[in-house]
Amino acid sequence: MELKILWMYHDLMDLYGDKGNTQVLKIRAEKRGIDVTVDTCTIGEKKDISAYDLFFMGGGADNEQGLIYQDLLSRKDNIAKAMEEKTAFLLICGGYQLFGKYYKAQDGNVIDGLGFFDYYTEASDRDHRCIGNIALETEMDGETFKAVGFENHGGQTKNVSSPFGRVLSGHGNTFKGGFEGFMNDQVAATYMHGPLLPKNPKIADKIILRALKKRYGHVELEPLDDTLENSARDVMLKRLGVL
Amino acid sequence: MDIRLKFVQTVQAVLARSGHGGSLPGTIALKMDPHFLEKFRMPPVVVLVTGTNGKTTTQNLIAGALREAGLKTINNHRGDNLNVGIASLLAANADSNFRIQADAAVVEVDELTVYRQFHNLKPNVMVVNNFFRDQLDRAGEMETIIRKIQEVTEDFEGDLVLNGDDPNVCRIADTAKKARVHFFSVGRQKESRGETDEASEGKFCPHCGRRLKYEYYQYSHIGRFTCECGFGKIEPDVLVDSIDYRNQTFTCGGKTYHSFLNTIYAVYNCAAVLCVMKVLGLNPDNANEIFKTLVLKEGRNEVFQLNKPCVINLIKNPTGSNETMKFITSQPGDKNLCILLNDNDQDGHDVSWIWDAHFERLNVPEIKTIVCSGLRAYDMALRLKYEGLEDRIIVIEDPHEAVKWLKEQDLESHIMATYTALHSTRAILRKESVHGA
Repeated sequence: MELKILWMYHDLMDLYGDKGNTQVLKIRAEKRGIDVTVDTCTIGEKKDISAYDLFFMGGGADNEQGLIYQDLLSRKDNIAKAMEEKTAFLLICGGYQLFGKYYKAQDGNVIDGLGFFDYYTEASDRDHRCIGNIALETEMDGETFKAVGFENHGGQTKNVSSPFGRVLSGHGNTFKGGFEGFMNDQVAATYMHGPLLPKNPKIADKIILRALKKRYGHVELEPLDDTLENSARDVMLKRLGVL
Repeated sequence: MDIRLKFVQTVQAVLARSGHGGSLPGTIALKMDPHFLEKFRMPPVVVLVTGTNGKTTTQNLIAGALREAGLKTINNHRGDNLNVGIASLLAANADSNFRIQADAAVVEVDELTVYRQFHNLKPNVMVVNNFFRDQLDRAGEMETIIRKIQEVTEDFEGDLVLNGDDPNVCRIADTAKKARVHFFSVGRQKESRGETDEASEGKFCPHCGRRLKYEYYQYSHIGRFTCECGFGKIEPDVLVDSIDYRNQTFTCGGKTYHSFLNTIYAVYNCAAVLCVMKVLGLNPDNANEIFKTLVLKEGRNEVFQLNKPCVINLIKNPTGSNETMKFITSQPGDKNLCILLNDNDQDGHDVSWIWDAHFERLNVPEIKTIVCSGLRAYDMALRLKYEGLEDRIIVIEDPHEAVKWLKEQDLESHIMATYTALHSTRAILRKESVHGA
């Protein structure tokens, strides 16, 4: 089996160690004997997004986000094709926001999103920045488990039809909001940095399965030794009082 | 005569007698009088040092060089660079009328609070070393830091000493129209590289938005960059021509200097110091004396004697960690390593930066075992696991137990510790040292 990952704007949307997510996906898949390719794509580069099994995009600073959004919008048709052809999506922070309707900055300036989903994001004032360790419970593809991460976003994302998880400790989509991220059976979108996947190996494996499903249908992944992963996650769950 | 100043100075004297320094007097002073810092009458020479990495070393070098040149100089030598630390420094060195009893003050200021300290300190020289990603949860985005520093320097009429090889530092020159701008730079070396996997910042021109072109990189995004629009065409006041790592020297303006540490970032610190000496019209030989004699301490390549030598370094962001790892792996011989990762307030709560640092560099045969310790020991272990170091990591969460483990192995060792782990670990190392160093 092979797994083709596209890491979008690897050189611009790379805040908060989000690159660790691609490392985790690659190594966890390779340990199961899967041939993994990780390609990158930045502004102005020609790539057929629909040819990939997994689309990954991380978060960036405001500046960087301003630089990439028009390039991203110009790829809308290609991304729509990828969606139709069942490419899996993992979107963090800025990536998450830009798949919604719009992002309204604090100065009132509105950046159009791709508009694939009905949620939208509005910048908050400084006192309502969602920042800190976060724990949530998620139900992903039939399994319920806890996950941890670090959130750091001013944007308040509203009108989310199906969240990524229920917040056990922390903020989520909005200041003290209670729900975090967006998810359907193809797209997982979240504000959780940390990075997300190292301490949440179950999410990593679900993402791999979603990506493999595009070409191989239902696949089983043999379990890996996740002792360190689970310890790192449990340290934080325990500290947040939600173990 | 100010009764509050007198009180603070008395507290300071009592603490000093019992061997305590630190920021407590400053904390008391600012509680009693929020305008405390505005009242000092600063000496004729005030050098402010800021940036992300190397502030403490650079300001100690500058202060040492000024002393060599015969100026009575005060500085916050331990790097207490927040308002309380600065208040303590000034109170300890003022007469009863807030007049600083020195010829010169060299003050390191936290890059996030420069905009608050700048007008109190009234610097005539301001040095900016570099801007790297650091504690994003506390600092916010780098763009904000740069803009705030640009705001305070807009009306600055003194001398601005800038790292000409950092595009984000160079930007400060654009808006500081009234200042005299001086750049320091390090020329291409055989170790310089045409490409890098380390640069996260400074990819785009702040003037026109085009991607910057780099002739070469020295480390991280520091190097010779230019843009079609003309940004980056600098005339350095101090240019290091060549670095001789074998003899730990470098040449600059036809003279040879010693480097206090055999690393590229140390040479940049030296270049900053030489630039300050030039600006102040002082003899650079005075700086060289300090370059030769500076003993790094307090977690900057500080050596303790466990059964075998143990070198401790502060790590706080990807760039500093990368450079520390380059240094460790450049040292010959087998060694063990201990990484202490904490996430207290001063460390930053967000430890994701370890994924931006190049820990794969530790994958060399000379590094036998890596002990992960501290509050986020498992996060560190996980980071190393994903670099193929799984078989060489052990987790000992308690730092004292981790140090004891290093001692038992009877092998040279290196410790990399985040800020809040540093001082407690140094205390442990002193206790465990064979000579009680």
